Amino acid sequence: MKSRWLSPLIYLVCSLVGIVSLLYPFFLPQGTTGAQPGLQRSADMPLMLTVLLGLALLVLVYEVQGQAMNTKLIALLGVLVAINAALRFLEVAIPGPGGFSPVFFLIVLTGYVYGARFGFLMGVLTLLVSAILTGGVGPWLPSQMFTAGWVGMSAAILRPLLLGLHLKGQGEEIWILAGFGAFWGMMYGVIMNLWTWPFIAGPADQYWEYGVGIWETVQRYASYYLLTSLVWDIVRASGNFLLILGFGMPALRTLRRFKQRFTFIYKPTPSPVAQSNLSG
Amino acid sequence: MSTQLHTWTWLTWLAATLVAISVTRNLFYLTLILLCLLVVYSFIEDANQRGAYPFSLLRFGILVSVLSMLFNMLISHFGETVFLTLPEEWPLIGGPYTLEALVYGLTNGLVLFGILIAFTDFNQAMPVRMLIRLIPRAFFPVAVVISIAVTFVPTTIRQFYQIKEAQMLRGQRMKSLRDWLPLVMPLLVGGLERALQLSEAMTARGFASAAPKGGNTAHRLAMVVSMLWVMAGWVVSTRAGWETLGLGLILAGALALLAALWWAGRQVPRTNYLKEKLRTGDAIVLMGIVVIGLALYFPFEWIDRSSLYYSVYPLLQWPDFDPWIGTALLGLGLPAYVIGLRKR
Amino acid sequence: MISFQDVTFTYPGASYPALQSINLEIPAGSFVLVMGLSGSGKSTLLRCMNGLVPHFSGGTLSGTIRVAEMDPVDASPQVMSRKIGFVFQDPEAQFVLDRVEDEVAFALENLALPPAEIRTRLDATLGLLGLTALRERRLDTLSGGERQRVALAAVMALNPSLLILDEPTSQLDPEAAETVLQTLVRLNRDLGLTILLAEHRLERVLPFVDRLIYLDSEPGRMLVGDPRQVLAEVDLVSPVVALGKYLGWQPLPLTVQEALPFAQLAQLPESSDVLISDIQATLPEPVLRIVDLHVFYGPKPILKGVNLSAQGGEVLALMGPNGAGKTTLLRSLIGLMKPEVGEILLLGESIAGKNTADLARLVGYLPQDPNALLFADRVLDELLYTLHSRAHQPHGHRQNSSADTDTSNAEKAAVMLAQMGMADLAEAYPRDLSVGQRQRVALAAIMVAQPRLLLLDEPTRGLDAAAKQRLADLLQTWRDDGHAIILVTHDVELVARLADRVAILEDGVISAQGKPVEVLAASPVFMPQVLQLFPDAGCLTPQQLINRLRST
Repeated sequence: MKSRWLSPLIYLVCSLVGIVSLLYPFFLPQGTTGAQPGLQRSADMPLMLTVLLGLALLVLVYEVQGQAMNTKLIALLGVLVAINAALRFLEVAIPGPGGFSPVFFLIVLTGYVYGARFGFLMGVLTLLVSAILTGGVGPWLPSQMFTAGWVGMSAAILRPLLLGLHLKGQGEEIWILAGFGAFWGMMYGVIMNLWTWPFIAGPADQYWEYGVGIWETVQRYASYYLLTSLVWDIVRASGNFLLILGFGMPALRTLRRFKQRFTFIYKPTPSPVAQSNLSG
Repeated sequence: MSTQLHTWTWLTWLAATLVAISVTRNLFYLTLILLCLLVVYSFIEDANQRGAYPFSLLRFGILVSVLSMLFNMLISHFGETVFLTLPEEWPLIGGPYTLEALVYGLTNGLVLFGILIAFTDFNQAMPVRMLIRLIPRAFFPVAVVISIAVTFVPTTIRQFYQIKEAQMLRGQRMKSLRDWLPLVMPLLVGGLERALQLSEAMTARGFASAAPKGGNTAHRLAMVVSMLWVMAGWVVSTRAGWETLGLGLILAGALALLAALWWAGRQVPRTNYLKEKLRTGDAIVLMGIVVIGLALYFPFEWIDRSSLYYSVYPLLQWPDFDPWIGTALLGLGLPAYVIGLRKR
Repeated sequence: MISFQDVTFTYPGASYPALQSINLEIPAGSFVLVMGLSGSGKSTLLRCMNGLVPHFSGGTLSGTIRVAEMDPVDASPQVMSRKIGFVFQDPEAQFVLDRVEDEVAFALENLALPPAEIRTRLDATLGLLGLTALRERRLDTLSGGERQRVALAAVMALNPSLLILDEPTSQLDPEAAETVLQTLVRLNRDLGLTILLAEHRLERVLPFVDRLIYLDSEPGRMLVGDPRQVLAEVDLVSPVVALGKYLGWQPLPLTVQEALPFAQLAQLPESSDVLISDIQATLPEPVLRIVDLHVFYGPKPILKGVNLSAQGGEVLALMGPNGAGKTTLLRSLIGLMKPEVGEILLLGESIAGKNTADLARLVGYLPQDPNALLFADRVLDELLYTLHSRAHQPHGHRQNSSADTDTSNAEKAAVMLAQMGMADLAEAYPRDLSVGQRQRVALAAIMVAQPRLLLLDEPTRGLDAAAKQRLADLLQTWRDDGHAIILVTHDVELVARLADRVAILEDGVISAQGKPVEVLAASPVFMPQVLQLFPDAGCLTPQQLINRLRST
């Protein structure tokens, strides 16, 4: 079947585009910036990469969605995204140091229990729906969706891992999941910050220079990051850690309890009466 | 509550706004654009209440601009009009503070603010169901998920309050993290039960979960190829001198991708029963956008396009202003005019 | 139209079949009512007809089913949906979109019909169900009754020839239920639509029913036939039918209207002494006293001077039309709404300034949806949670060592479960239980803390007759133990059986208060059926009347 390599290829290409559109500031070729500052081109660059990311996201979502989704899973995803989007209002409502986001709890756990595709869509759609509802649709949305999708998708990798280590159902399971949540709490911030950096810093002469070379760019990013996003990310990572530790076990039990009902597919068994009619 | 303008009109307006903002760094033009956007915002606000999600746009925008201003002033030390100097030994923030850096930061802040208002205007103008209808047919299952989610959020919030009240009367107090458990669990389980009921109802109403005829391998292949094309185009465009070619490749690849998506969408047998009509208001707004496009790109001799490229450095000076471009940019405020007309 | 031959079905993992050897024939154009207690297989039977059983639920099905010339087991529910419309019980869990006309058009769009045709059918369906005025409204702004009508419209848009409804009115109040049922009758009469309805509330619909199916709790025992014949053999029936059976009225009357001629002819000895339950409420300080309560919702006054009191050892029923302020009153009692004027005194102390968690010591509250309370893995844990939360109250409780507290809590919980007859459910997962059982678990979780005052908000929604009886028994036990109970309900027959006092809240004030026999007799809306038939007899329930007849 020649189409079996297609799926991994699509994942690969889209991830590549995603990575490029985030890491491009570090890898632009050294060269002249002889063009006038404030040039139209360099102003376009971040927006264009966002568009690129958006396109990759479209392809990836289409791929994950598959040709059709089970009605039950559609309903399940819809309701869970609703719960998560409602939780996101909490994030907006809490004053004080931002960063804490309750949405990753469900994203990680559903990815872990229901699989990579489900987790991916859970992440992507949570961000999308809460953006639609709060009027927060903006150019940052594609990278938010992309990253959140990856959180959910990668959570599924833990399943065979923990199963292999015979940890399923043990206390350690929750600790590992909590650590996973904390890791992604930090990474999400790092990635989103990477995305906003060229915008805020601007295609200026100073801290993001078009073609300044990788080491210099890393330094500049580090200083930017320390100043802006570090505290937020630590808050978010700790939040995820505590949430999963606190509520993970009961939530996992519940999700697993329902799993059978949602993923079952009807297979008609030939009834003995019919069979005897056929033969008799 | 019907939308004032056609969905596609709003989309085009949004695209035009984003292009206008990204094209220039001229303070005058930027301010003009922002003013238009804010005017549109005030008109939409009156015409359409979207839920109770308070979000003070103006304050947020000011915050963003000020932060950007300060950040730039603190970090970047270029420019010639110095007004304050800190000792050079201090890491990062030591050195001369220049007016140029301040103004540059302000410009960046205004750009961000502009993007923000543009999207907010769009969100306010389009009711959620219209946004969902924009989703291409290829993504039909995902669109259904989004519909369900949007429909269930108010229910979920209401349920949360009911649960909170009920649990309070058991003596539950919110002291530690654990005390949230009796609030969160019924919500989760209730949601799962509800999802089962909903899927039963959907099945009973004929919602098809079977795959449509014909595979979609060809579509996916087309998408991957277009994606690679776009990537290649971008890589090319980063080489100095090859920008136009790169841009062209990207554009072509993007179009190919959208075509592939449209092709995939044809497989889904659905129709849309809503028919939006294009009205005079739409024509007015679209005309305004065409004028902007002409002013920015068409090689008229009497338009001084260099005023778009304004740089604060090395020395701060007043930016140029071309009245033709300025007038054209006013076209971004046309939706406000149309909505205002309709109200009367 | 419908034919079942020797159908047996077992759910996956169940030890005994839900349906056993069912044989059934239903001609087109009938209006059929399906009766039976929870768990008797009503829902299963209905779902067999459009293929949800076994396609959606799994399990093993044997026998032959033919519905509208199709085999549901062979075809899938999606195919059957062209001819069969199915409406479910919960008005909140059936909709995919958020606007009325979008939802109704959804199924049509899925069929890829041309837009013009969709619009025509949409207009026709909305007009048929009286929803045209509501077509642009958002679904979450509609009442339960309106939402069920929208669910009806959504299935009617496909022009089915058979309509199946699984307890569509159980979550609705009486007026809304009435509207929905009348709509169904009209659809059957005017369009000749075959309708299969499973319901607990029978009275309104019985005169229009062609055929009654009764499913007994033992699988396999099923009665089908003319309503009067079937009801003659069934135990849990409405008061009118119960009286008709006892007094031998023929043909068996199904409604008050049919029974009136018989009642007028019946010789009933006049009696001036009124038979009421003999609880003497000695007058200590009432557990609850509400004095001149005014509560506003924003600028609007909802409660305009309510005076009410509740004694220990008494069941007070609070009734009234929708919007009268019953919910507001309850919420004020539990501290969720602050009064503008007036006072609420619990055991002599004003509750002003206390927050809700403090009040939990004295007041237990069963919400309309008991699911809101259930979150633990075991029934026992639910009770333990309440006890544990109360142990941390700042007022008054001696702090025992935590080991002692745990043991005593475990004992208290066990005692409570035994008292309620649920000892065997202690380890069960609460959300897997039936509706009635879940309500009892919630009640146990509340009562284990022994609050002096118990508030119940519409506890009879979705309960079958047996569960209602069990609830009534439970409330009587607690009343006899000295608790004060306030019951907010629309269910007149339950009030007739159970209440010691009735108060009617209308338009923000208590318009009537007193003994049930007096208050209910004076109110045309809330008159129990027995009183409607025999206004002078002073009896509220058929049992009381029968006792009186036997004693004379």
